[in-house]
Parts: sequence; structure tokens; C-alpha cells
Amino acid sequence: MKATRKFVAAALAVATMIGMAGCGGGETAQEENPTSIKIWHYEEDNGAQGKAWAKAMEIFEKETGVKVEFEKKSFEQIRQNASQILNSDEAPDVMEYNKGNATAGLLASQGLLSNLNDYVSKYNWDKKVSGSLADTGKYNEQGIMGSGDWYGITNYGEDIVMYYNKDMFDKYGIEIPTTMDELEDAMQKFVDAGVTPLSEGVAEYPLQHLWWQLVLQKASDKFLKAYEMYDGDVDWQGEATTYATKTIKDWVDKGYISKDSTGLKAEDAGQNFIKGSYPMFFSGTWWFGRFQSDMADTNWTFSLFPESKKVVGSSGNIWVIPENSKRKDLAAKFIDITLSEEVQNLMGNSGGLPIAADPDKITDEKTKELITSFNGVLKDNALGFYPDWPTSTFYDELNSSLQELVNGTSDVKTVLGQMEDNYNKGVEAAGVKQQ
Amino acid sequence: MTSATARKMNIPRAHKNRTVGDWTIMVLLIIGGLIMLFPFIVLLLNAFKTTADYNASGPLAWPHEFSLDGLVKFWTRVNYPEKLWNSIWTSGLVAIFAVILSMFNAFALGIGRVKGRRWIVLLIMLANMLPQEAMLYPLYIMFKEIGLYNSPWAIVIIFTVIQSAFGTYLLSSVYGTFPKAILEAATIDGASRWTIFKDIVFPISKPTLSVMLVFFFIWTWNEYMIPMAFLIDNSTQTIPIAVSSLTGDRLMDVTTTAAASLISIVPTLIFYLIFQRTLSRGITSGAVK
Repeated sequence: MKATRKFVAAALAVATMIGMAGCGGGETAQEENPTSIKIWHYEEDNGAQGKAWAKAMEIFEKETGVKVEFEKKSFEQIRQNASQILNSDEAPDVMEYNKGNATAGLLASQGLLSNLNDYVSKYNWDKKVSGSLADTGKYNEQGIMGSGDWYGITNYGEDIVMYYNKDMFDKYGIEIPTTMDELEDAMQKFVDAGVTPLSEGVAEYPLQHLWWQLVLQKASDKFLKAYEMYDGDVDWQGEATTYATKTIKDWVDKGYISKDSTGLKAEDAGQNFIKGSYPMFFSGTWWFGRFQSDMADTNWTFSLFPESKKVVGSSGNIWVIPENSKRKDLAAKFIDITLSEEVQNLMGNSGGLPIAADPDKITDEKTKELITSFNGVLKDNALGFYPDWPTSTFYDELNSSLQELVNGTSDVKTVLGQMEDNYNKGVEAAGVKQQ
Repeated sequence: MTSATARKMNIPRAHKNRTVGDWTIMVLLIIGGLIMLFPFIVLLLNAFKTTADYNASGPLAWPHEFSLDGLVKFWTRVNYPEKLWNSIWTSGLVAIFAVILSMFNAFALGIGRVKGRRWIVLLIMLANMLPQEAMLYPLYIMFKEIGLYNSPWAIVIIFTVIQSAFGTYLLSSVYGTFPKAILEAATIDGASRWTIFKDIVFPISKPTLSVMLVFFFIWTWNEYMIPMAFLIDNSTQTIPIAVSSLTGDRLMDVTTTAAASLISIVPTLIFYLIFQRTLSRGITSGAVK
């Protein structure tokens, strides 16, 4: 027994030392004249990103003569095991990774991602990735996004828009709303006609995106900075959050949002919109491609949320170069190709939301409209990010608070108090608050 | 003798006179069975639907047309035969190794009655009692240092240990009640420990061993977290990881996922059915006379 214990203790000590040594910084020796490069991402092959990046790999092989060893990873595997993989010899040379403090920020602060500053100035990436798109690529020493060095480069975007089923609007003789008053008016008309207007799913992201959009309607820049970048205190009982929470409560009471949506997931909410059970759905541009193929017979349209100064959304995921990569120059070359016009236009033509495409080269009218609308958002620097970014547990906590609000177990004040508690606890636990 | 015959004759009669209690229990059991089958039924319904059909009518409706799209999509996208082979290979090896290891351990603990066996069993059981999350990081460091990170052998080793921990616990209590008379008779006849192990203990415990084999195979087959953490290359991954790769960041493909889940449980079902037979044969052949 004693011997075993000693052995275990020794093994643990050795393991800790090795683990710590593995975490240390220092440049990884670069391979001379590499013949292959390992690239990972986790997008669908037939989706817009998947198609565009496949093209990028093809161009890369042609231009450099270096073979691409591509593997499509599962989102779940990268989400859970990225730090272990990047800390080993199995790390790829360049990979797609989730933007945000809890993901890319954490790995950057642990020294597992390469600092890309030199490549950014070499390739002028900051010309294409600028403003609020750039915030998700830069992380400071604590891993907080928005300032500091470059660790990731995005090449697409996403924002949340209101999708309208035009056929249903026409059927009840209702106009597509362009102002907040018209929106509430239209929803009331649907309720009067016995139709619940808004397709929601409170068990997953749809309602929290709507809630955040309503917050953004009233939020000041100071509030946003405090909320997303921990710069100052968040005023939870202030105008923005109170307005958003009250409006949702109000919409539930008036029947604009069904109480039954508390148990529904994003997939259900989207499917209910596709089916034509609800005429409106407020969700991300990631649905766009699917609606185009699955709602080909329905006349549908979309627009930004009425009267919005800021829009829920951000850059897409980012490409990062692991610190352990031995072919960093090639990896940077690949990233540069993903931002080339050819790849960007292909992404646009496949139903994606490229950031550096030429709208004139986009053939599909609806996609062109989507890209133009997003370019407008970028120009106004109006991306408002997501509500769950500040802490790693806030996504689930926000959903459960909103569930209580929708099914009526808690009132506005209680819900706000609960959100505030969870937010503060999470921020404190992460130890990222700037004093 | 008479009482035994009487009891035997009672059985058919009991079938005829079902009391209200019997019926209630039966109804409850049927309801319970349906509840257990429900997820499987939903899976079956959606696995053979087209996406358009699913979008139009939802998960509970009967499919309008029979479609193999989901199956085909999953099969080609993840290279199903490769994943199937990986799963069979790891689960098969783990099942065999774990049974052998448990047998050796249990022979020493249950029949050999080594000193401090209670504590040894407890120590071994730790492998089973600790949550896998707690073991993940230490295991990661260990296997990275010996160069088995991203190798299917890491999975074989880890799960052989984990499964044999339970196996040792179970078998050593089975062997603890092993009839002493047989062992003594064999020793008097001059049998060595190895002979006793090979020719007496092994054949008699065959039924238990085959049950363990089936369980270890199925348990390892369904393992998700540790294989996902250790198998980095797509070419080494097992079926549950391949199924999970269908769910994306924000969207999921319901019909393909349903089809994938369906064909991922078929091999375990077949395995179970095959071994169910040898299992009952084993029981009749190994009885103590």
C-alpha cells in the first residue's frame, strides 16, 4: 500500500512537471520546405463555408505545391478537447476555432495559439477584417477579446435578422413591418386572426437573441463595453435590460410569443417557421441557406430588426494557427487565400455571408440582398455581439431565466435580479474583471 | 418430490386465473415497455424520412415516402465501414482482454484468498467509481508521454482496466462462493493451480464470463467521452463520435442524425443476439453435478 502511494505521488509529480513544461511558451522550430500541411475545420461540406474553404485548399495546393491534409472535425470534439490537442504533437497547422473569451481567448492566454501580428501586417488582413469584426480576433493577456494581439482571423460573418413568411402576411392582408410600431401592430393583427406571430424556442438560443436585440435597441456604448469587455459595471436595473425583459413579458402576455415555446429548441423553432405555422422568426443568417433550399415554394423575405442601431451578430468563427505548428508561414498563406476574392465570392454564391466579397459578383438576388444588408451593418460598425459571451455558463443561465419569464413563474424584476447574480458570479469566477 | 410436482402443476393453472393485480401489473409493464420503446420508435420514424418531409410534418408523423437519404449521407460522410471496424476492433479487444484480466484477478482474490483482498477490490473499483471527467486529464498526460495519445490502443488499455475493475469485483464474489469440495478434490488428485484454473474454474464460470463479455463489448461500444478526447484522427474514431459529428454549432440535421443513430446501434443488437444464444448454451454445459 505504502509503496503504491509513493509511486502514485511520484507519478503525479512527474506528470505535473511535464504538463507545466508543455505549457511553456517559446517558438516552435519551423520545418524547412514542408511538403504537406494539416488543416481542420468543422463546417458542413455542402454549406457555404465548407464549399469556400474546399476551394481555398485547392488554390493553396496549386499555388504552393504543398499537399493539404484536410480533416473535417466534429464541433463537439474541438469544443471539448481543443486545449489538449493543441498542447500535443497532434495539433494541426491551421484550424477553425470558436471566437470568444472562453474559447479562443482562453487558449491564447495559455500560449497555445500563435501571435499573428506579423502576418496581419504582412498580408494587410486588418484592411479586410476591421471594426467590430476584428474584435473577435484580438485578445489581451487575460484572454479578453477586443484589444491586444491578433490570434485569429475570420473570413465570414453572421447576424440575426427577422425572417418573414410573405405568403402568410399576404393571406391575412398584413404589411411587412419596418418600424417597431408596425411590428407590434402586425403581430397584434396575427393574434386577432388566431395566429401566433413569432416562432420561438426558449430552450436554446432564439429567445435570448431576441432579448439581446431588444437590449441593443436602448443600450449605450458604455453599457456594451461593460457587458462584453468587463469595462466598468453593468447596470442591470437600467433602461436597456428592463426594457428588453419587459417587452418580452409584454409580448408573451399579448400572445405574440407562445407560452409553449419554453420547451422548444432552435431546431423546432426553425422547423415551425419552415412549416408555415408561424409567420415570423428572428434568428441567425446561418438559417439562410436552409430556408433557401427547404422553403423554395414559399415566398419569404427578411430584414434587420426594425429601428435597430446595433444588430445581434459578430464575425464568424476564426482561423487560428496553433503554437505547436511547424509550418506557420504556410498556414498564414492559407488564411490569406480564404480572404481572397475568388473564395469570398464563392462563399457568397453558396448562401454564406463573406466579409470581403464583391456584391456584383453574387448571382442570387436574395443572397446579394443579405450580403448588402450585412455590409451596411459592418459599415456602421453596428455588430452588437451575443449576450452569452461574457461567461462560460451564461448561455444556459440566460435561457433558464427567460424560460421562467415566459412561463410566468417569475416577474421582470426577479428575472433581472437572477440574470445579474449569474452574470456577476460568472465574471468573478473567470477573474477577468478590470479594476 | 411431491411438493415440487405440485408447484410445477400450479404454473399452468396460474396462467388461467389472472387476478386483477396480475392485469394491472401487465398493463403497467406494457406502458413501461412502450415508454422505453418510444425513443426507438421516433428514431425509426425519422431515419427514413426526407428532410422536406420532416420540415413539413415534424418528428412524430408517419413518413410520406421511404427514403434512405439520411443513411446514405451518414455512410459516405463519415466513412461508416471504417468507423464500424474501429468500433468492433476496440470493443472486441477490450471485451476479451477485460474478461481475461478479470478472471486472473478474481482467481487470486476469490479462490486464492490473498491477504487484504477487500482493500485490493476497493482499490480496483476506484477505476469504476471515479467519474471519467476526473480521470481525463491525468490519463491525457500519461498517454501523451508514452506516445499513445491519438492511438486506438489508448482506448483499449483504458477500457480494459475500467471494465476489468467491475469484472474483478463481480467475479471475485462469484469465485468466493465456489464449491470448496471440487477444489480440494482436484488438489488431492494432484492438479496444479494452473490446471485448476484452466480445467475447472474456467469451464464452470463460462456463463458468467460470457455475460461479462457481452456487457463489456456493449459498454465500450457506447463510450463517448474518453474516446473523443483520445482519438484525434478521423481514421481512428469510433461510431458514437462519428454520430456526434453530425451536430453542428447552431444547426442540426435531424433525419441524418436519426439514421446514423439507428445504424450505430444495429451492430450491438446483432452482437447481443448472437451471444444471447451461446450464453444459454453455456449455462447448460457448465453445471456442477
